[in-house]
Amino acid sequence: MRIKPQLTKKSTGRYFYLPSVIIISVLVFFPMLQALMMSFQTGSPVDMQFSGLSNYIRMLSDATFKKAALNTSLYLLVQVPVMILLSMVISVLLNQKNLKFRSFFRIAIFLPCITSLVSYSLIMKSLFMESGLVNTILLNSHLISEPIMWLTHPVWAKVLIIISITWRWTGYNMIFFLSGLQNIDPSIYEAADIDGTTEWQKFFRITVPMLKPIILFTTITSTIGTLQLFDEVVNITNGGPANATMTLSQYIYNLSYKFTPNFGYAAAISFVIVIAIVLLTMIQMKLGGDRDD
Amino acid sequence: MKFITKLVLLLSVALVATACGNQADSSKEGNKDDKLTIWAWDESFNIKAANEAIKAYKEKENAKDAEFEVVTMAQEDIVQKLNTSLASGNTEGLPEIVLIEDYRIQGYLTSFPDAFEPLTDIVNEKDFSSYKFGINKVGKEIYGVPFDSGVAGLFYRTDYLEEAGYQAKDLQNITWETYINIAKDVKVKTGKNMIGLNPSDLGTLRIMMQSAGGWYLEDGKTVNIANNNILKEALKVYVELMNSGTVTLTPDWNAGVSAINNGEVASSPTGAWYAGTIMGSEEQSGKWAISEIPRLGAVKDSINASSIGGGGWYVLKGVGNSETAKDFLKETFASDADLMNTLAKEIGLVSTLNAAAETENYQSPSEFFSNEKIFQNFSTWSGEVPVVNYGLHTYAIENIFTEYVQKIVDGADINKTLEDAQKEIEASI
Repeated sequence: MRIKPQLTKKSTGRYFYLPSVIIISVLVFFPMLQALMMSFQTGSPVDMQFSGLSNYIRMLSDATFKKAALNTSLYLLVQVPVMILLSMVISVLLNQKNLKFRSFFRIAIFLPCITSLVSYSLIMKSLFMESGLVNTILLNSHLISEPIMWLTHPVWAKVLIIISITWRWTGYNMIFFLSGLQNIDPSIYEAADIDGTTEWQKFFRITVPMLKPIILFTTITSTIGTLQLFDEVVNITNGGPANATMTLSQYIYNLSYKFTPNFGYAAAISFVIVIAIVLLTMIQMKLGGDRDD
Repeated sequence: MKFITKLVLLLSVALVATACGNQADSSKEGNKDDKLTIWAWDESFNIKAANEAIKAYKEKENAKDAEFEVVTMAQEDIVQKLNTSLASGNTEGLPEIVLIEDYRIQGYLTSFPDAFEPLTDIVNEKDFSSYKFGINKVGKEIYGVPFDSGVAGLFYRTDYLEEAGYQAKDLQNITWETYINIAKDVKVKTGKNMIGLNPSDLGTLRIMMQSAGGWYLEDGKTVNIANNNILKEALKVYVELMNSGTVTLTPDWNAGVSAINNGEVASSPTGAWYAGTIMGSEEQSGKWAISEIPRLGAVKDSINASSIGGGGWYVLKGVGNSETAKDFLKETFASDADLMNTLAKEIGLVSTLNAAAETENYQSPSEFFSNEKIFQNFSTWSGEVPVVNYGLHTYAIENIFTEYVQKIVDGADINKTLEDAQKEIEASI
């Protein structure tokens, strides 16, 4: 007599992935749904009432929200392109076969990424203080006549935040470009040499197009990272002077923990960030995505 | 298809299970051990105070065996933990006793009406500076034991001011307008700035407002900005000060402290709790003095007494041994003048307990501050501070308001800007 096998091949597979499905649903999807519900509610945390879209409507007239959103998009528009270009150029330079101390430079540029966000922020802050190292150097080399108020001037404070995140993340993205460069067949460059191209042409006509998937990937991760920017701003300027550097994430934090808590509104803003990330990612996929992948 | 049904069933069981789990937790009664837990911030001030209080409490006959755990946390962390725990209705892991800043407590008492134990039976209103009860009450019920006084004083460098031609009597009971004139003199004659200010922190403006009993809110509820005469006069003075060329801009707390300790600025109008920080630089001993906080010359009700910061002890309801916690507070912070005497010496605490003014350390002069009886002075001023109900939203309002203050400092029309500020703040709270 043949015994019917208890588990078919197919169902065995299912039982293996079932635990992860359950755990992810309970720990990730369920809280996400709850947060979505919360974004339609208002009132003190122990007595929240449904209020329809009121939280979302409130955003339209909330100047602090607009300011935070504007700051965040400014960081995004300025910092991400600068950083991607910079890390691409650096990676091409560091990929030269005849460069001496190659791994030393690679390590030096990657090192910022392994420092903690808080400690590097504090170091940046002390470097850029009114009497800090940067101002001292600039003053002594007679580039400026008065110290720059990096921390208390609305524009310079933004510049400082952008400098800081660029310093911290360029090396990280460089690693992806370096690995992308290893996958470009050297014979393409050899063929170009035979055709008599210049180095610049090689960079723009061969390297950049060949790195397209990597550019897409780094742009998407950097966009997400910048939209969630929090640690640097909190530790370097704490959103100041007068909210000039505040980001959306910090505003969410303030609404939940610094002010009298308004979790409903905070949840609504975080969903706006989620939607923004999804939209931006979709646009980037559309513009840069390769249909053949 | 069958598999999908199973999956959905399983998932819903899991969800129901977690939901039930939550409910079961919230009905439990916090910590079950006999230890009293206290949360506070600032190792060198509040924590030391709590430990001294415990020492004093354990000397009492019936309390020898009481066990305590004092937990140090940043104030931000305490606020965050309280917000999340109270909002979820889960008191597990919360302490019996917690220190809360005066500016924040009304927010808690209103948002979480049932979270705190009433302390009316252990706190006698007559025993404390009256302004402390502007914020720790709901109706007639008292919820907090007043702790440190945020009473403000004008700390100044006697050596710099003498160089500029000013004696101690020239700084007594002055107006802010006079203060700015003195500041300009000091700048001209010594080259030093008068004050370090952080443009994101409106503490100085708060001091000015409370000296006349004013605030951003009327009765702790209605936004009162556009037609608030006290605020308007205070802002005028603040803007004049900011533009007087005598201000060192400090991006944060530490920069402010180092401006003082490095001798970059000649004065600091701030809370009594700052004395300890100033004393941090020992070589400046004898070079500092403290006088009354300036008043607003243009506001009739403004007096030379105000407050900034300060906090109180609160007991969380339904957590552990709230009875023991109440007894502890009753025997220590709510009544023990000797403890306040010790704390004045140990941490420079200016108590809001009236009886403390009679104790030894309050009567003795401070060598660092030009041999003045600083504790007695602070204690006297503390009794005069006008009562103000800060309401719920001080920090939320200031977060928005700093932008408008910045605009006015940069030259925008004050009336128009305040009207805009009123609209935006009304919309957001």
